[in-house]
Amino acid sequence: MKKVLALVLCLCVLLGCVPALAADTTYNALYSSEVSTLNYLTSSNTWDQTVGANVIDTLVEYDSYAQVLPGLAESWEVSEDELTWTFHLRKGVKWYDHTGAPVAEVTANDFVSALKYVLTAEYESSVSYLVTDAAHIVNAAEYERGEITDFSQVGVKAVDDYTLQYNVTVPTPYFVSCTTYGCFMPAYGPLLEEQGAEFATANDKMYYCGAYYLSEFEPQVKHVYSKNLNYWDAANVHIEKIERIYNAEASTLAPIMAQRGEVDSAELSNDIVEEWLSTNPDIVIRDRAIPDYSYFYCFNFDPQYDAEYEPDNWLIAVNNVNFRQSIMKAFDRLYSMRAIEPTDPESVLQNTITPKTFAAVDGVDFTELAPFEGVQDMYFNADAALEYKAKAIEELTAAGAKFPVKMVLTYKSGDTDWENEYILLKQQLESVLGTDYIECILMAGPSESFLSKTRRAGMYSFMRCNWGGDFVDPATWTDPFAESFNDDGTHKGNSYNKMDKMLDGDTYPETKATLEAYYAAVAEAKAVTADTKDRYTKFAAAERILLDNAMVVPYFIMPATYQVSKLNIFEGQYAPFGVSNLRFKYQHLHDDFVTIAEYEAAEAAWLEALGNK
Amino acid sequence: MAKYLAKRFFRSFITLFIILSIVFILVRQMPIEGYFPNIEKMSEEQIQNGLHQMGLDQPVLVQLGNFFKNLILHGDLGTSRIYRNNVPVTEILAPKIPVSIKLGSLSLCVALLLGLPMGTLMAKYKGKFFDHLGTGFIVLINAVPAAVYYLFIQLYGTEFLGISMLFDPDKVSSWILPVFSMSLGNIAYYAMWLRRYMVDESKKDYVMLARIKGANENRIMFKHIFRNSFVPLAQYIPTSFLNTVIGSIYIESLYSIPGMGGLLVDVVKKQDNAMVQGIVLLYACVGVIGLLLGDLMMVTLDPRINFAKKGGDR
Amino acid sequence: MALLKHPKLEELEQHCSEALQEDLSDAALFSYAEFDEAEVERTGASNYSYWRSTLRAFSKNKMAMFLLILMLTVVLFTFIQPLLPGQFDPFQVNNNPTTGLPLKNKQPNSVHWLGTNSIGQDLWARIWSGTRTSLFIGIAVAMIEAAVGILMGVLWGYVRKLDFLFTEIYNVLDNIPSTIVLILVSFVLKPGVGTIIFAMSITGWIGMARFVRNQVLIIRDRDYNVASRCLGTNTWRIIIKNLLPYLVSVIMLRMALSIPGAIGSEVFITYIGLGLPATTPSLGNLINEGRKLMMSPNLRYQLIYPTILLSIVTVSFYMVGNAFSDAADPKNHI
Repeated sequence: MKKVLALVLCLCVLLGCVPALAADTTYNALYSSEVSTLNYLTSSNTWDQTVGANVIDTLVEYDSYAQVLPGLAESWEVSEDELTWTFHLRKGVKWYDHTGAPVAEVTANDFVSALKYVLTAEYESSVSYLVTDAAHIVNAAEYERGEITDFSQVGVKAVDDYTLQYNVTVPTPYFVSCTTYGCFMPAYGPLLEEQGAEFATANDKMYYCGAYYLSEFEPQVKHVYSKNLNYWDAANVHIEKIERIYNAEASTLAPIMAQRGEVDSAELSNDIVEEWLSTNPDIVIRDRAIPDYSYFYCFNFDPQYDAEYEPDNWLIAVNNVNFRQSIMKAFDRLYSMRAIEPTDPESVLQNTITPKTFAAVDGVDFTELAPFEGVQDMYFNADAALEYKAKAIEELTAAGAKFPVKMVLTYKSGDTDWENEYILLKQQLESVLGTDYIECILMAGPSESFLSKTRRAGMYSFMRCNWGGDFVDPATWTDPFAESFNDDGTHKGNSYNKMDKMLDGDTYPETKATLEAYYAAVAEAKAVTADTKDRYTKFAAAERILLDNAMVVPYFIMPATYQVSKLNIFEGQYAPFGVSNLRFKYQHLHDDFVTIAEYEAAEAAWLEALGNK
Repeated sequence: MAKYLAKRFFRSFITLFIILSIVFILVRQMPIEGYFPNIEKMSEEQIQNGLHQMGLDQPVLVQLGNFFKNLILHGDLGTSRIYRNNVPVTEILAPKIPVSIKLGSLSLCVALLLGLPMGTLMAKYKGKFFDHLGTGFIVLINAVPAAVYYLFIQLYGTEFLGISMLFDPDKVSSWILPVFSMSLGNIAYYAMWLRRYMVDESKKDYVMLARIKGANENRIMFKHIFRNSFVPLAQYIPTSFLNTVIGSIYIESLYSIPGMGGLLVDVVKKQDNAMVQGIVLLYACVGVIGLLLGDLMMVTLDPRINFAKKGGDR
Repeated sequence: MALLKHPKLEELEQHCSEALQEDLSDAALFSYAEFDEAEVERTGASNYSYWRSTLRAFSKNKMAMFLLILMLTVVLFTFIQPLLPGQFDPFQVNNNPTTGLPLKNKQPNSVHWLGTNSIGQDLWARIWSGTRTSLFIGIAVAMIEAAVGILMGVLWGYVRKLDFLFTEIYNVLDNIPSTIVLILVSFVLKPGVGTIIFAMSITGWIGMARFVRNQVLIIRDRDYNVASRCLGTNTWRIIIKNLLPYLVSVIMLRMALSIPGAIGSEVFITYIGLGLPATTPSLGNLINEGRKLMMSPNLRYQLIYPTILLSIVTVSFYMVGNAFSDAADPKNHI
């Protein structure tokens, strides 16, 4: 026996280069913001969706290198007209309750019931737009609006217990990627009927079919996920138990608790990261960056804030292209980014609204297509900024604007990084352009329902905004700026910069001409469906119109946070959309914190594999 | 006495009713976002429907009537919409209240057990070393914000005791630091005021008379001075319990204690109107009952005070 | 007591007894006094001055004197600091001249006396700017509380018809924990100095009003006031001339105590995320920023320095207030 033990020990030493895996595989972590609901069918919040992602499986899933794998569906096919998608479900997958006891089998009917729930207006699902607008399911929007009441007319059907069919109105090559969102997850029909609006308000008011079940759920206390031993793919679930403890001050306490070995991972906020890099350089690693959201600065064309900040004056200024150019050229993006990415801002900088690596055609990244040539030279240039400033002063004085122009920068209360970013931005812009030309005003927006009270309500003049692609096509990046109409046919203004409002009336002909050109270019691009390269190039050309006229200033993709962790994050599922990224499946828990050397090796291997595939 | 009590209860009840009505009407003035988790996506029609379903389209006074009807008949405080969608307010509050009560009462006990002897000793040795030491402590506690010294206690206390930084209700050791931290402010409060009252009291003529009569010094200290000085403090005890519970937000956030402390702040920020109403109701109840208890304690401790004669004037 | 032991009286007695012993002849004993108008007006009372005695009693308390000087120095310095040479702008992000990047989290050094914060602003300048904001909030709250509280309290106590109404209002308002009001008001209104002052004063005056009312009830029917009333003096004159001077010392004590109270509340409001934005430095948000760095020993200075200043302000106001109230108590003027 001793010999065997010695042998094992020797082997362990030999394998020392491979990080040791923990024997007790309970993963402990803190969280500081409670889920508002466990209802994966209605919530659009990432944190809420984390629960759903780990306890409910999707039809397909992604491996660590963004390749599609069978999930609850073993195989799938699309009809020739690309309007009917058929999924063949895995047999013998069961629903389990919060004690891990089996309840019933997962059948195609559960997908139908779930979709019906999503489209029932009464349940106020905030992700139903993915079903109606992204996946274009037949009659989905009509059912949601109450125009038809017979759900059997909606394009989803259980052909038999193990065959599920979706009908769509237009060819959607990306349909499979849509099914990895919460709103396409199944839910046990009879339970939905029984619980109605109360579905998934507690861990005993839902059933589970994923890698884990939520064995304990005490809001603002803890979440405990237990591995489902009967899970169909249990061999790939390595962490037995996940315990997350609520702590409102997690950002302060988690790092020290990680040092004391009480938690297995901790995020390092930007104000302490440099300190940690100098005191614990070995174990400070980063999270895996996911290019799902692109950040850009919008100019607001419909300012609604208090008269004390002179919204009317801003409206005159913002409609002057030289004014916008002067801001864009004076804006040293790498400087203000230091508040968010303290070490290497250049790595996340974006020169286009559509982020790099989002889509490619014929081996050329979308952002490197011909229309984007020279785009990197459009930004920070103090001399050019002053030239534009001189022109702007002349034209704006003639137009009756007052100087300095007041520019309201709105941020979310409590978001220190964002606030710091604006402090840097204000100082930097004002130092280039002078306070006699522009005066930045920092305005704290509410910490809850921030967007609806600020951006969507027009409570800013210049603001960092973000948008995430819903599906793999450049068209998704025109959505934030798409024209939005009132019932009477006038423009309501898109929820980002309201620029389409300028199409009504003739007060600002210059802006109107730019916008007409842009919307025409987008329409033209959307019309091309056969030739991908042509389609992409036309979308690129449309986006270039926005950049050339300084309507939007591209910024960055959110940098990965710094952290210490016992997980090798590169093992996790990876996809720039859907909930796959949020899963613990495939990940191992290590004995010690992943060192920077291990991290870099894993990252290199991952990037290589990603590139090869 | 019985008459006074009845009258006093009735008054408390009326006060409570008035507070609730005011809060209810105020909450109704808050934006209707507080009833719909994703109002942006809803059409005007859906919103109107929702309001109708919740009975919010009726006149405020009718709503108020319904509120009291539900409260009294069913103990129903409404349903949370934002904080935890579709969960009854009472269900959310139920598990949190006992935790706060336990923590609050424990820390209050500790505060009384340490604060009163401290104040007494300080008064007894007025101007001596112990008095200065105690004064130093009181000054320190009052000067340094709780938000800061709690952090230090947590950081070094857990290291010193070799325990987890977070609270675990099953481990007795993890109660020590939160309870102790929470009691510090009250220890300082009780010690400071007791010392002051006792010093004032000890100058009074009856104390001098007792000394002249040759009464035992300890007897004078406890039977005469302490008892008379404690009366005004006793009235404060129930209120300080309420303040301890509300002020426990720091401690509860730091140690992950699932109590009531941060709840009000949370729901106010999230604009969950039903929850705001429920919690304010709870605090107002505790507040009113606290004042009532405080008065009763005073009457019990000091036979000279007779509210019944004064017609219930507090 | 005060009259008997007055030193001037003792001197007089001594004079008399010395004179008696020296010369007992008529001429020496009796002489015509000069007519002195001032002497005619002189009454039997000593030249006891309430304020002088208060000051004398106060100045005997060495600790309180020290803290008073400290307090005045801090208050004065908050105004002087920006005018001194070589000071940084509290809002300015300081960049490293060679790289052009912000000097973040720099330990205290000869340029930045207390170091810089997490985006490179000078902590020394921010602390003084923060103290200015916090003191302003504290003093404003104290003034409003005093003004509203005294007005309400005097009306409440002096006008009998209003007593019932006011008592009822008081009972209701006093039952609502002030923390709740503070939270609700700071949430509903736009964050800013004005909001914070309003939120704190909205409940603060009640305590003052009740206190003044009780004092007024006690003093109202004293003989000299009854006499005044009999002589037809109008109510306002009685209140202003007869009542308020009596209350000055205690009102000042309450004001001195409500300043540190308000500063403390500001820390709390900032902690729960409803306070001033970090663009307006205050002791509350400096401490709150510092708290986040508490667990990193090298960055802890960002918590310690604002805390020290807050403690100095709090302790000095508190102790000076208490010492003053002791000194203002005529019983201690012996």
